[in-house]
Amino acid sequence: MAMNAEYTPLFRARGITKIYHPGTETEVRALDGVDLDLYEGELAVLLGASGSGKSTLLNILGGLDVPTDGTLSYRDEELTGAGERELTLFRRNVAGFVFQFYNLIPSLTARENVALITEIAPDPMEPEEALGLVGLSDRMDHFPSQLSGGQQQRVAIARAIAKRPEVLLCDEPTGALDVHTGITVLEAIERVNRELGTLAVIITHNAAIAAMADRVLSLSAGRILSIHSNEKRAPVNTLSW
Amino acid sequence: MLDLKLLRDIRGMKGQMTAIALVMACGLTLMIMSRGLLLSLETTKNSYYTESRFADLFCDLKRAPLFLEPALAMIDGVAQVETSVRGAIILDIPGMKEPADGFVHSLPEGRPRRLNRIHLRSGRLPEAGNRDEILVSDSFAKAHGFRPGDAIDATVYGVRRSFRICGVAISPEYVYEIRPGGMMPDPERFGVFWMSERELSRALGLEGAFNSVAFRLAPGADAEMVKADIDRLLEPYGGLSAYDRERHVSAKLMEDEVAQLRVFSVAFPVVFLSIAAFMVSAALTRLVKLQREQIAQMKAFGYSGFSVASHYVKFAFVPVVAATLLSGTLGMWAAHAFIGLYQRFFNFPALIFRPDWSALLVALLASGLVSFLGVLGAVRQAASLPPAEAMRPEAPADYSPSFLEKAGLHRLVQPSFRIALRNLERKPWQAFFTALGLALAAAIPVLPGAMADGVDYLVDFQWNMAMRQDAVVTFIEPSGGEALLSLSRFPGVLYAEPFRAVPVRLFNGHRERTAAITGMPAAPRLNRLLDSQERVVPVPGSGLLLSEKLAEVLDLSPGDEIRMEVREGRRPVLATFLSGTITDFTGVGAYMEIEGLRRLLGEGTTASGAYLQVDSLYWDEFWRRVKETPRIGSVTTTAGARESFSKTTEEMMGVSQMLYLVFSLIVSFGVIYNGARIALSERSRSLATLRVLGFTRREVTTILLSELGLLTLLSIGPGLLLGTWMAKSILESVDTETMRFPLILGARTYVVAVLTVFVSTVFSFVVVGRRIAGLDLLAVLKSAE
Repeated sequence: MAMNAEYTPLFRARGITKIYHPGTETEVRALDGVDLDLYEGELAVLLGASGSGKSTLLNILGGLDVPTDGTLSYRDEELTGAGERELTLFRRNVAGFVFQFYNLIPSLTARENVALITEIAPDPMEPEEALGLVGLSDRMDHFPSQLSGGQQQRVAIARAIAKRPEVLLCDEPTGALDVHTGITVLEAIERVNRELGTLAVIITHNAAIAAMADRVLSLSAGRILSIHSNEKRAPVNTLSW
Repeated sequence: MLDLKLLRDIRGMKGQMTAIALVMACGLTLMIMSRGLLLSLETTKNSYYTESRFADLFCDLKRAPLFLEPALAMIDGVAQVETSVRGAIILDIPGMKEPADGFVHSLPEGRPRRLNRIHLRSGRLPEAGNRDEILVSDSFAKAHGFRPGDAIDATVYGVRRSFRICGVAISPEYVYEIRPGGMMPDPERFGVFWMSERELSRALGLEGAFNSVAFRLAPGADAEMVKADIDRLLEPYGGLSAYDRERHVSAKLMEDEVAQLRVFSVAFPVVFLSIAAFMVSAALTRLVKLQREQIAQMKAFGYSGFSVASHYVKFAFVPVVAATLLSGTLGMWAAHAFIGLYQRFFNFPALIFRPDWSALLVALLASGLVSFLGVLGAVRQAASLPPAEAMRPEAPADYSPSFLEKAGLHRLVQPSFRIALRNLERKPWQAFFTALGLALAAAIPVLPGAMADGVDYLVDFQWNMAMRQDAVVTFIEPSGGEALLSLSRFPGVLYAEPFRAVPVRLFNGHRERTAAITGMPAAPRLNRLLDSQERVVPVPGSGLLLSEKLAEVLDLSPGDEIRMEVREGRRPVLATFLSGTITDFTGVGAYMEIEGLRRLLGEGTTASGAYLQVDSLYWDEFWRRVKETPRIGSVTTTAGARESFSKTTEEMMGVSQMLYLVFSLIVSFGVIYNGARIALSERSRSLATLRVLGFTRREVTTILLSELGLLTLLSIGPGLLLGTWMAKSILESVDTETMRFPLILGARTYVVAVLTVFVSTVFSFVVVGRRIAGLDLLAVLKSAE
């Protein structure tokens, strides 16, 4: 999907700055005045090396962290200055998360890991449907310890999308996986983005993944270096690294 | 360096370490306290008994000439004999409406007693030839503020006279100074006195004779043979049965106290220390898991398996040392508090607290051993971990559907609750010991509750339901009908119910007991006999009623034959039978219809005394008449007895009730807190993930604590059962012929027990819940487990 001026952005970030331990010897400027708009239905890749500030940016977008300076809004809602309760509700109802290390609950089966979230969501899909979307219909009653890494990550994606989020935030989703498994996970994310129209943001240090995105935002030293729009999204199965 | 790491790590686990140390300290405190008390009581008692030459055998009789003494000394196995006279004394104390009473004993002139020597607290012994000098027992003197030189008015054997107190003393026979048949010391109304032998013999009309004798046994003597010889020799002189220290009221109560302390010093510490061992085990196992990587690094750097193991063993010893220090202080303090109580109830020359330092060592060793056992599994795991393997994160935990789900009930529970169920099933031992600790915490408060309710019931049963009399009067000698008639005409007396009490020996085969048999009207209006259901038991026309306990020790069932030897008057021996049993809580007794007893004794209308109903408006006049009546040997009021019993038991139980409650709170808080901290550590990753996924803090807390909440709920029922069982066993252990406590378990007791556990559970939940607020949400996303 190409960028159009008539689209209103879902996320609108202006001058986002994040400083850890301000005023001390160990002060770290993780983000340094980031301006960013993210649009409904697009698939964006935040590309950067370790320490570029991409994770901090994703955490702030997801309501897990608050910026030291700057403003961030989601639709018409100000996220900067929102309280603990509002941020919890934002994470609960709006954002879906996929983590590098899956973070499944080990004592629950695949189906139950998804059901745990659908229980608290206002308009969820059935856990079975979500698991079907990531191709795990035949593994629903397995515990995490009985699944491969790729399968666990797909359960995590199913868990993230089951509540029909408007935003899917993926932090190094293939970081712990081999190429082949990584591709199946990215396919699942791409399919959700395409079929459900969910804004998908993938952060990665892996430049090969950039080809599947609508837009690629490169970060370095806490600033956005460049924004590049792909003419056409490359099919995920053609990626390799 | 490893020790520096130890210190820092311990600072990080200070909450858990404190909880473990506190639970250990509960057990050790009880141990140090009871062992200190045991040592103090036993050494004091033994040295006092030795110094004062406390006798081995005792016998009371009607009257025997003094020249019989050499014959008694000749009995094979007797090392020493001391004869004396003793009698009842009734005192008119200024400021007290009702009279006090007690026993007065003789002191030989010109020499110390050979046996049962008295110990002077102040003043001096009565001077020979000084007729009016009297020694007063220490507790009686204290209760009334008497000092040497004070005067008291008393009636001895029907003669009222004035005495001068020449000293205050104690005797090994009255370490526990208690009225025969009484439950608790009542120093205001009961005392012991001593006079010179010549004076007292004259007062009692026993010149040249004795009515009490004590014996010291030669080493290796057969006490049973000696007793039989004494009984045979004294039979013609109205001898009651000879008895040993086992039947001696004061000596027996001391032994009971010592035996109870001995049980306490082992049973409770074992229970508390087992719980602590489990807590150590759970905490350290978790620590070793968390520090897999550090262990690997230590090993990679060349630390041996042994030094790694000893590093983790040291963790376990930190709470041990803390607990020993804490319980040393607390135990000594508690023992001091109890010694203070003992000093009030036990009359020793000097009951000083002797700290049992070896108890500290035992405490250190016991808790050390317990921790070592607890930590063994975790340490072995740490020491045997190959460095390369330890570097890798631990494999994800295996889970399987819980038992409930296999049973097809999983539809009933939400996924969030399934987490709890599966965690419990995955670590059944951890769950079991946590539940055990909680059950114990619920059980502990049942004890003091049951005791308090038991005392209340006893008071109600004994003094409201059974005894309806306001006062009991005994005559110095059994008296005829005219004595009763005059008593019934005392001011305020509404009704007088006579009784006749005589000493008897009861036999069933080889079992035998000495007791008093009380003859009473067939349907008593005042002093009623009740069964365990509080129903009135009519006094039978034939056969005997016995206290349940007496029937039990004689192994008698209703209908069984009893051989009865009356030890008074013409001493009839007859075969009768057990017609039924009655319930009572102090001493034991036998009862029959008064007319039958009189016929048996060949008497007319004699009575030993009477139960009286007195109009409360006339008490002053009533007491005046009592004090003017020489025939009266003792008077006790129901209200006075009830009041002194309640006061004394309250004092005695107050300290232990506090201890029980505090210990229960500590155990339940400690167990829950430790469990919650471990659960939090094990699941912090899952919990942070849930917070990231939009679960509120409260929802996450609920998920974490529902596991422990479930265990708490599950353990309450068994805990109350355990408490009931413990209360029952403890009451059974003090169930003696001297005293018994009813087992009464009211709703209040259980409510307090449940509340104790709930309050400490909620409190530890709040403490742990605050840690959930502080979970680092970002850290968990970046790390593999």
